[in-house]
Amino acid sequence: MNIKKGEFVVVGGGISGIAAAVEIAEFGNKVTLIEKEASLGGRVSKMSLYFPKLCPPYCGLEIYFKRIRSNPNIQIMTLSEVANISGTPGNFTVTVRQSPRYVNAKCTGCNDCVSACPVERPSDFDYSLSKTKAVYLPHELSFPYRYVIDDKTCPGAECGKCILACKYDAIDLGMKAESVELKADAVIVATGWKPYDAQKLTNLNYGKMSNLITNVMMERLAAPNGPTKGEILRPSDNKKVERVAFVQCAGSRDENHLPYCSAVCCTASLKQVSYVKEFNKEAQVSVFYIDLRVMGRNEDFLTKIKQHDGLKFVKGKVARITEDPDTKDVWVEAEDILSGAKHRERFDMAVLATGIEPSLSGEKTCLGEQDKYGFFGSGKDGIFHIGCCHTPSDVSACVKLANGAVLKAMQCVGGRA
Amino acid sequence: MKQSTLNPDIVFIRDVIRSGGDSVKKCYQCATCSVVCNNSPDENPFPRKEMIWTQWGLKDRLVNDPDIWLCHQCDDCSVYCPREAKPMEVLAALRKMTIAHHAVPGFFAKMFKSAGYLPILFGIPVVFLLFVLFVSGHLNIPDGEVLYSKMFSHMAINISFTAMFFLACGMAFIGGKNFWNGMKADFGEPKGETSFIGACIKVSKQIMLHSKFKECDANKSRFTSHLLVFWGFIGLLVVTALAVVSIVLYHYYPLPQTNLIKILGNVSAIAFFVGLTIMMLNRLSSKTSQSRGTFFDWVFLLDLYGVVLTGIAVEYLRVFNGGAIAYIMYFIHLVFVFFLLVYFPYSKFIHFAYRFLAMVYAVMTGREVVRT
Repeated sequence: MNIKKGEFVVVGGGISGIAAAVEIAEFGNKVTLIEKEASLGGRVSKMSLYFPKLCPPYCGLEIYFKRIRSNPNIQIMTLSEVANISGTPGNFTVTVRQSPRYVNAKCTGCNDCVSACPVERPSDFDYSLSKTKAVYLPHELSFPYRYVIDDKTCPGAECGKCILACKYDAIDLGMKAESVELKADAVIVATGWKPYDAQKLTNLNYGKMSNLITNVMMERLAAPNGPTKGEILRPSDNKKVERVAFVQCAGSRDENHLPYCSAVCCTASLKQVSYVKEFNKEAQVSVFYIDLRVMGRNEDFLTKIKQHDGLKFVKGKVARITEDPDTKDVWVEAEDILSGAKHRERFDMAVLATGIEPSLSGEKTCLGEQDKYGFFGSGKDGIFHIGCCHTPSDVSACVKLANGAVLKAMQCVGGRA
Repeated sequence: MKQSTLNPDIVFIRDVIRSGGDSVKKCYQCATCSVVCNNSPDENPFPRKEMIWTQWGLKDRLVNDPDIWLCHQCDDCSVYCPREAKPMEVLAALRKMTIAHHAVPGFFAKMFKSAGYLPILFGIPVVFLLFVLFVSGHLNIPDGEVLYSKMFSHMAINISFTAMFFLACGMAFIGGKNFWNGMKADFGEPKGETSFIGACIKVSKQIMLHSKFKECDANKSRFTSHLLVFWGFIGLLVVTALAVVSIVLYHYYPLPQTNLIKILGNVSAIAFFVGLTIMMLNRLSSKTSQSRGTFFDWVFLLDLYGVVLTGIAVEYLRVFNGGAIAYIMYFIHLVFVFFLLVYFPYSKFIHFAYRFLAMVYAVMTGREVVRT
């Protein structure tokens, strides 16, 4: 069989985009993978464990990274965003704008610049649970393994301490943004998701107390490469957690916020229950829910998690969270509808299961048509949307959708759509 | 938990949906409403359970449910409801259904459900007043200086209106008693330490200060408007009673503008008018069709408005000697007053009695929320 080879652009270097780029390149096609952040991996690289197997995502990511490294057909562009797409299937022109990294390819990752840097910034990788210097490595297993400078915090050339500290001449504060035009037979869009902004849930008072965190922050607390090295300590005083509440549907299934079900948060919270119990067997855990939407095969996972001692499920949506000013404990309030009484309980820490919102929700984009929630529905011919920018889904579903999109994209070579 | 058989009343569900509770079926029982409500007790809180009882058509239970009257319609529940199921509107519809259910005779309550019966509702007082005029021999417009007693003698008005009003009070008493017994039968005899009289005194104080109303967050302007209407109405009631006394005992009428009773009357009328206007503007400017109010709601508001507007008009038409117009206005005013006073067991007016009883029951059963 003789299949024509082509050129492709994949937008988004999370698990979906990586999967698509690798599969398409291993078929002998050229592909450029465009990532907005300084490192590939996206949300998955910030997770501690996958459900239901409870295995670390780095396993799979490392294998993908190895496949990228060993394949000359894949070009990676980090700190890049698509400014425009024009043309038709088989003949797209994709304009990419790349922001300066200020650190060139000579960087060996020696960390001398970090020791010299005088300014700090909240770590976006750790959802502000930790800080980095203005020059930093995106994370331990960053790909590419190269430092980056945040120009919003860096005072610039007038400081220049990192330049002096760097033995390899890798820092270039004069780097400028660049615009690149790429040819593509088809474009695969995998711009992913962001956690819903919990501050919009005004009755839960998120942001007004330190021991009320979100589910993505919980992943960082549990992760071995996280701010607490995998120990689940509450933020206010680094106390080992003994009583934890999980608050489901924080934004999802809510006409005032995200009217749809984010599909993975129930199972994700069950997974996080196991983080807590693994860390502290004696911990008391309560899960407040409307319905436990643990879908398909994951029902076995629910059965497995339910076997933990000291675990309570309360049917009732949490409608008020307040802080005890002295102890910094959090008071969580719901109606336990099975007993028909208000349930007010004090916890060391509460975790909001914030829903999945498309990354580009509320933004103007050339990457396709968005529905009223910001998910991509259909694009132009030859532009395919996969992963959580298309629908809320777990990692294995994202990868399968990516593999399917590769086949559709390859059919566009030479104008066949 | 006590076992019970559910008898869904499908007609009742449809009735609630038609009476402003059309969002009830959207509820998915998350109970956000029960938590955000500042007036909802810890044990068996409302309105989450009322939402599912309505979905299930449990009319018998709902018409005796004191909790729907503990709601002061502040809208906190609807603001936070993730389904836009609008519990506040559903409870308002349920209160209307409760009034209609307990009212005696029931067909009067039915007439307050839709505008189609308005001609009959207004026809009755018109015929009644014409009959009083005919019997007292004043079926004409008097000449000379405007003095309303030349058309309706004080005797005729006092006797006929008082008689009709007491008849209405009797009907209201029966309705209230049915409701009270229903509450006790379905939700238990009050076993608390507070006596009936003690609870009545406590609730009266709360109502006078509108302290439960104040617990509402989402809808603060309703507190002020209701307080103005409430005290304006009480003021007018007191003035009317004092005027009757002054006529009967001292034959001293009309009162000069400088008289204390007259001043109280005018101040009350202004408070009443301002409060009512705020209420109407709130409804008209409301974004959702439901909180714009239903017929049941509006007919009561408009009647109150009619009473106060025609009342003020009557007063000034007399002062400025308005001739025939003054007497016609007086006639219209009496129609509105009849509507208000004689129909009160069937209109929204009666909410004061049901709410009072439910609040007394809540105090006696320890379901009253005391916030610290």
